[in-house]
Amino acid sequence: MAEIGFTLIFLSVLFLFLGSGIWIALSLIGVATVGMELFTSRPVGDAMATTIWSASSSWTLAALPLFIWMGEILFRTKLSENLFKGLQPWMQHLPGGLLHVNIAGSALFAAISGSSAATVATVGKMSIPELRRRKYPENMIIGTLAGAGTLGLLIPPSITLIIYGVTVNESIAKLFIAGVIPGIVLALMFMSYVIVWSLVKGGSSEEADPNTTWGDRLTALLQLLPVICLIGAVMGAIYSGLATATEAAVLGVVGALIMSLAQRSLSWDSFKESLLGATRTSSMIAFILAGSAFLTLAMGFTGIPRALAEWIATMQLSAWQLILILTIFYVILGCFLDGISSIVLTMAVVEPIVRQAGFDMIWFGVFLMIVVEIAQITPPIGFNLFVLQGMTGRDMDMIARAAAPMFLIMLLAVVVLSTFPGLATWLPANM
Amino acid sequence: MSSIFTAVDRGLNRFYFYCGVIAACFLVILGLLIITSIVSRLLGIFIPGLNSYAGYSMAASAYFALAYTFREGGHIRVVMLRNALTGKARFALELWCLSIASFFACYLAWFLIRMTWFSYKFEEKSEGADATLLWMPQSLMAFGAAVMAITVVHALIKTIATGTPDLAEGAKIE
Repeated sequence: MAEIGFTLIFLSVLFLFLGSGIWIALSLIGVATVGMELFTSRPVGDAMATTIWSASSSWTLAALPLFIWMGEILFRTKLSENLFKGLQPWMQHLPGGLLHVNIAGSALFAAISGSSAATVATVGKMSIPELRRRKYPENMIIGTLAGAGTLGLLIPPSITLIIYGVTVNESIAKLFIAGVIPGIVLALMFMSYVIVWSLVKGGSSEEADPNTTWGDRLTALLQLLPVICLIGAVMGAIYSGLATATEAAVLGVVGALIMSLAQRSLSWDSFKESLLGATRTSSMIAFILAGSAFLTLAMGFTGIPRALAEWIATMQLSAWQLILILTIFYVILGCFLDGISSIVLTMAVVEPIVRQAGFDMIWFGVFLMIVVEIAQITPPIGFNLFVLQGMTGRDMDMIARAAAPMFLIMLLAVVVLSTFPGLATWLPANM
Repeated sequence: MSSIFTAVDRGLNRFYFYCGVIAACFLVILGLLIITSIVSRLLGIFIPGLNSYAGYSMAASAYFALAYTFREGGHIRVVMLRNALTGKARFALELWCLSIASFFACYLAWFLIRMTWFSYKFEEKSEGADATLLWMPQSLMAFGAAVMAITVVHALIKTIATGTPDLAEGAKIE
């Protein structure tokens, strides 16, 4: 009985610390300390120090700051301007027109930034004014941005996928490759929705731009080409096995530096800013990961993950039921936490359950990315919705309504991914 | 008295920033180490321990930047409750958060320093090819954690002394 009492105390402390607003990394350390003090007589502080040391000095983690730095450098190039100019001539003749620029732009930007809020903010900053000027309906502008912005976690190099890989000890290279097809499928699903919407609605109220020539298209493409090549080279190096994820990341940094030098957008100031920005973000994430490693250790002593995994095993849930439960769980969690925090916080408990159920951990990583992304646009509380509210000045009610169809499309994507797991597992299996 | 207070406050803030700059240097070193490992592999030369050194630079960079990141509001937290509160209640909540955070930041710093001390005393070596004396990289990490502890306590004292929450809005979740 004492065990149950301890478990209750442990969980209350967890909610109290996180809910009251103590910094996530320090919350995790605090909760883990309380947990270990309750459940074991081992010297807690020393166990903490060695766990945190080995979690923080791990070589696999090195890909993280480098990919963040690459994104920070590319942010400061003329990339965002080029993105709109370069995609526009290719997209405007599709039904739904420039709304596709929102989606394709987000997919491309997601590939370099690895953060969905940053993707929404950057793509939105240039596309919202352009689309408004051409009288596209506001709810479609906001909806496509909210939905497509979430591609950031799925399309490599995704920071969140690295974090998942480090937490569950799976190959980051394989996870990256696994995210590619589902990311493209999701982007195509968003675009199909826009096409269907446009065809059903009939007649366009939007103003088309004058016809573009192939010359225009090629010039536009040339501006985007360096970035596309850079991403292609980074992913190609990983897929072919020529480079590990970390090595590919450093190649990405060098490539991004050369690109911005060539564009003359690299100054000493922008270099410093990109480096300090990357340092801050990776410090924050590394600290959370250290706390989460300690929490995983403490969780092991509490016996909660094992008990929960056994309990779920006795319930004889089908794979579908388990997926349904986990989806609901993460969407609710996402109302309070961002993607990274909800993953590191739950993996200690969820990993044994998922492994026991016999899921492929690479597949599960991709599934988790989509589910965590759904949480970012779940009305009424979602991080991307707040970003959009800030950018458009519309009320939350309207934004939530505009994002609702995208929310449903992403749920559909979960069903598709669960029905055809090969979407995620085929490419990495053939590396 | 108050002028000493502001001078210390300013000096510390500058100190945190310099630690951030050192952290950034370690990030560059990390990149250079990995470039070295790629180049040496292409040339067919084996340089032992590069991966371990990269790991140590990663840790040094992350921990040296902790305090600087804290000052810049870069560490994430859930601020839903905080934003729902105003006036005295909000101030009390901030005090609670900073007190608990101070405690665990000091706790972490203390045990990392202790670990480093034991590594030094028993001359523990890395198990990898580098066979580095572990106290060297560990002391960088322990130092960063100690500066982090100082900055959180600093924020706590400043909040109590000035009666207003010291930290900028910064990064937040919802």
